[in-house]
Amino acid sequence: MEPLPSGLPEIVADNEDLARFLASSSQFNSRMVKPSAFLPEPKSRETSVFRHGREPVDALWHIGDEYAAQGRTIHGAAILTAQTVRSTALAVIAGEPPPRHAAIRNWPWIESDPELLKAQQKEIAIALAGTADFFKK
Amino acid sequence: MPEIIPITGDMEWLAPIRAMAGGSNAVSAEAQAVREMAANAVRFVEQSRALFGAKAEAIARLLSLANEYQAEQATLDLSSVALAERFLHALPDDFPLPEFSVEPDGVISLDWIESCHRLFSLSMNPSGRFAYAWLDGTDKGHGVARFDGRQVPRRILEGIAAIFKNGTATLRAA
Repeated sequence: MEPLPSGLPEIVADNEDLARFLASSSQFNSRMVKPSAFLPEPKSRETSVFRHGREPVDALWHIGDEYAAQGRTIHGAAILTAQTVRSTALAVIAGEPPPRHAAIRNWPWIESDPELLKAQQKEIAIALAGTADFFKK
Repeated sequence: MPEIIPITGDMEWLAPIRAMAGGSNAVSAEAQAVREMAANAVRFVEQSRALFGAKAEAIARLLSLANEYQAEQATLDLSSVALAERFLHALPDDFPLPEFSVEPDGVISLDWIESCHRLFSLSMNPSGRFAYAWLDGTDKGHGVARFDGRQVPRRILEGIAAIFKNGTATLRAA
């Protein structure tokens, strides 16, 4: 299988670290990242992450500023493994460009009851937030 | 325009809210709405801090977050902000106060975080049907409850209380 433009394999391995960049200081406190940081975007129905761990830290923040910020300030990152995400029945799918980008997909989706949908998504987001390591920039 | 009161001591956090209430060059309806809410918050804080200090400060933090999102032109549902303010007023005075964040759809989330393994999260859905979910050690769950604008649903109160019941934190005295 051909590698992606970044040189990474197309399949995200279970032991790969994923970084969820935080563009609001409200998405974390002094101890942890909050569940809202992991909820999916309503339009794309996915949560955007990057295939990168804590180190090297310069490269981590470069990716955040260059590809994730979209005009906002990156305040930090939540790091968790692909296996952690998959243990909640969600999927992690590589999606370049931008380089190292991946998407967390397969979120519950109920068109007929948006509040129940949000509740289901929040339960999963809490599980992700509870296991993610938070790093302040 | 509200009166600007000198800042002293531990009221310094109110400065950006006062500045917001004092007006800016922004003329959009959304900016005006936030400015009016900020003015209301300042008034509320100044008039009732002795009675509702912690709750008033929580409302000010909520409005400060709303202002941050407005300034960055990020997605924010102002009706959700208003609902969150009403919810805070309705919350019993002996209950812990939440932290705030904004969800991707612009809805305000209220989070009671005892630890990374014990938390309760509540979405201020504009419909008034609030989505909530919790993690309590190995126990977890989710649900929906309707808020009538005056009384916090019993299921939500019980969910918040359960998170703090066995933890190191205790329910804050009024």
